[in-house]
Amino acid sequence: MIVRERFRGLFQKYLLVLFMAVAIPLAINGIVEAWFGYRDQRARLDQLLGVQAASAAAEIHDFIYGITNQLGWLVQVPWSDEPDERRRTEALRLFRQAPAIVSLALLDNRGLERLYVSRIGLNRIESRTDRSADPAVIGARSAQVWFSDVSYHRGSEPHLTVAVVGNRPSVGVVIAEVNLKLIWDVISAIKVGKTGFAFVLDRPGRLIAHPDISLVLRGAEEATSKPFRTIRDAIGPAGAGFATSRDVHGHEVAAVAAPVAGPDWTVVVEQPLAEAYAPIYAVLWRTVALLAAGTMFAALLAYALAHRMTEPIRVLEEGTERIGAGSFDHRISIETGDEFQRLANSFNNMAAELALAQEHQERIAKLKRFLAPQVADLVDRAGDDSVLDGRHAEVVVIFCDLRGFTAFSAALAPEEVMSVLSEYYEVLGRAITQFAATLISFSGDGLMVLVNAPVPVEEPALRAVDLAVEMQKSVQGLIAGWRSRGYQVGFGIGLASGAATVGRIGYADRFDYTAIGNVVNLAARLCASAADREILIDAEVAECVRGKRSLVELGDRQIKGFDEAIPVFGISFDTP
Amino acid sequence: MAGAATWTTSLHAQKLAMPVIGYLCAESPELFASRLKAFHQGLGEAGFVEGRNVAIHYQWAEGQYARLPALAANLVARNVDVVVAPGGAPVALAAKAAAANNAIVFEMGGDPVQLGVVDSLPRPGGNITGVSSLSVDVSPKRLELMHELLPTAAKLAVVANPTSPTANSQLQKLRSAAETLGVHLQVLNASAEKEFEPIFSTIAQEAGGLVFTSDPYFAFRSRQLAELAMKYRVPAITQSRDFPTAGGLMSYGGDFAQSHRRAGMYVGRILKGEKPSDLPVQLVTKVEFIINMRAAKLLGREFSPSLVSGADEVIE
Repeated sequence: MIVRERFRGLFQKYLLVLFMAVAIPLAINGIVEAWFGYRDQRARLDQLLGVQAASAAAEIHDFIYGITNQLGWLVQVPWSDEPDERRRTEALRLFRQAPAIVSLALLDNRGLERLYVSRIGLNRIESRTDRSADPAVIGARSAQVWFSDVSYHRGSEPHLTVAVVGNRPSVGVVIAEVNLKLIWDVISAIKVGKTGFAFVLDRPGRLIAHPDISLVLRGAEEATSKPFRTIRDAIGPAGAGFATSRDVHGHEVAAVAAPVAGPDWTVVVEQPLAEAYAPIYAVLWRTVALLAAGTMFAALLAYALAHRMTEPIRVLEEGTERIGAGSFDHRISIETGDEFQRLANSFNNMAAELALAQEHQERIAKLKRFLAPQVADLVDRAGDDSVLDGRHAEVVVIFCDLRGFTAFSAALAPEEVMSVLSEYYEVLGRAITQFAATLISFSGDGLMVLVNAPVPVEEPALRAVDLAVEMQKSVQGLIAGWRSRGYQVGFGIGLASGAATVGRIGYADRFDYTAIGNVVNLAARLCASAADREILIDAEVAECVRGKRSLVELGDRQIKGFDEAIPVFGISFDTP
Repeated sequence: MAGAATWTTSLHAQKLAMPVIGYLCAESPELFASRLKAFHQGLGEAGFVEGRNVAIHYQWAEGQYARLPALAANLVARNVDVVVAPGGAPVALAAKAAAANNAIVFEMGGDPVQLGVVDSLPRPGGNITGVSSLSVDVSPKRLELMHELLPTAAKLAVVANPTSPTANSQLQKLRSAAETLGVHLQVLNASAEKEFEPIFSTIAQEAGGLVFTSDPYFAFRSRQLAELAMKYRVPAITQSRDFPTAGGLMSYGGDFAQSHRRAGMYVGRILKGEKPSDLPVQLVTKVEFIINMRAAKLLGREFSPSLVSGADEVIE
């Protein structure tokens, strides 16, 4: 539940933003690096294969020109008409030095064959056959060194005819047949990378050299040479960089070509693409691995940060909810050392104040039950209710009740009784509140009110008398209404002043404020003896209001519970 | 447990599955030692070593060429992976006749196309390929060399093995060469060791030169021939370098070390899964001319400067 909520709202936003903030630059950097790495590697591969191709071409060139150079030694001396034994010795020596030469023909300046030596066939000495029309002779005379097209001996071994002329016509021409199979020693020694190799194609694109000699021996076949020609054609003109193509087995290869001048061949070096690109793949893999690691790190970081940012908010949210629900003792615990902590502290302070306020309200509500709202407020403002503690105080006690109410209530329906009582207490309550007196208790139609306690007031007796007058006036108004409905009830009040013990009594949540002492009894007795429309006061109260309110001396009266008769006074008032 | 058992079984099977080469040879191991060494060298270059990753089953005919078909049949019956038929056309032909399905790699001096062993050099066809050392092709060259050593001799003798499948073609070429060179050709036959001595004694009386045609039977008896040549003081030339090395005068022929080595490499490639029909017949590029100066001195002959300069090896 909490987890699902977490992936909504702020957490999600923070997570996304923080992740993007790290992952996007990382990804861009990775891609850029990979791209440049790829380009660098490609350029390096280009260069590497280019060098390999050039070097392979140079080796093939050396092979061919090594032979033509040696042939050149045979055309140094002008021919005479005599047989030349020395030239035969030289030719046979050349056989030993150049194993690729199969046969040699030496022609004089007229194009007549003077000497022919062969490894396989019979030698011919001074055959004087006219070979001046031989394309080899014509070609060599125009270009110094002439190469034939490659021919495949018995359809298998590639052979090349080379003709060389000397630096003057009189030295004649030498024509040699070269077995190109021997290039194998050169070509098989060329290694490109780990498994790459070089091969040679002639002008029409037939295979004449390859590390696998069995392919060369079938070079004349279209099926053999075609895949190699395809690679050559894919490369296009030399210098265009490496090309990718497929080899005989269909594997992709990177290949670069270099020309061999003279016989007009092409040397191609090829390397399996997988091998050639291995460094590129390594770079890419490294980048991918770094990206993956970086992204993971970004995700973790984003999660941690988002969590760190939203967790205080969540705690705040939860805390405020609980405080709002009334748990004012709940404290939001955030130790981030930043605004969140300050906010949490504010909430905590607010909660504490709310708790205090609620406590006040509860106390006031309790106090208001038996204190005048003003008094209650006073107690509340005082900040403590020590004012309600038990003590001795000079108080004025007021008792009042209805006359004939018991008989009246017995005759009526309960709803009507309650309605009458409601009206009665309504007016009395208003008067008590108005005079800031303290309602101590009420039972049925009787009521006890205290003046000058728990909060002292000025001239309590006078205030009590005025309150009593007000009460009489109000209730007599009601009584007039009731009488018109045929109910015979009256209302009497008794007041007494003196010392009493006042204080809070009760248990648990049920507390009352009350007064105990003779003065209470006296007030109650005075009330009991008061007739309708009468307000009876004791001498002490009378002394206090004498001259200020109109007193009526009623003489001494025998009051129940008191041994002697005591002076009783009445307060006269105008009936509305 | 079951897995371990399977593994052991497969390992065992693998060991059993080590490829087997059937080596069919017309001669004895002693005579063939140098060739066999070259063959093993080639096999090693292809990645195979006898006893380690390849087994070789040998069949020696000990010079009795008539036994070759039976020995070839033995190898075929053993169902070897490759039959090697080195040392001449008779061996190759015997192997080809016996083996219907086995791959065959031959080593010979003759022309395998002309002998009907293969269809063509680049596309041998069937299940057979191999190496040819050119020794047969250069028989006329031996006649030419002997003619050069004995330019005044009007008659030169040629020794042929009538049982050899290449004898007729060689003699034909030799006759044509003799015509070109302007010498009379005397043809002598030998197909057994006992026939050697009478030939040398005959030529010794006529003070001529003796040219041996290319034939494995002669090649493998170079020591014997050299001894007879020196005994009867007859100038002779054979195809094998073993002859001048053993004291004979001179030899001209294909380099057998090269041809046997290449045959070994081809066997390796076939064992690795290539088909013989995809491997063109190789011709040995190297034809070597060896002369023995000591033998010339004993015979009272002298090599011309051009012969000496043309020799690949001169034994002093």
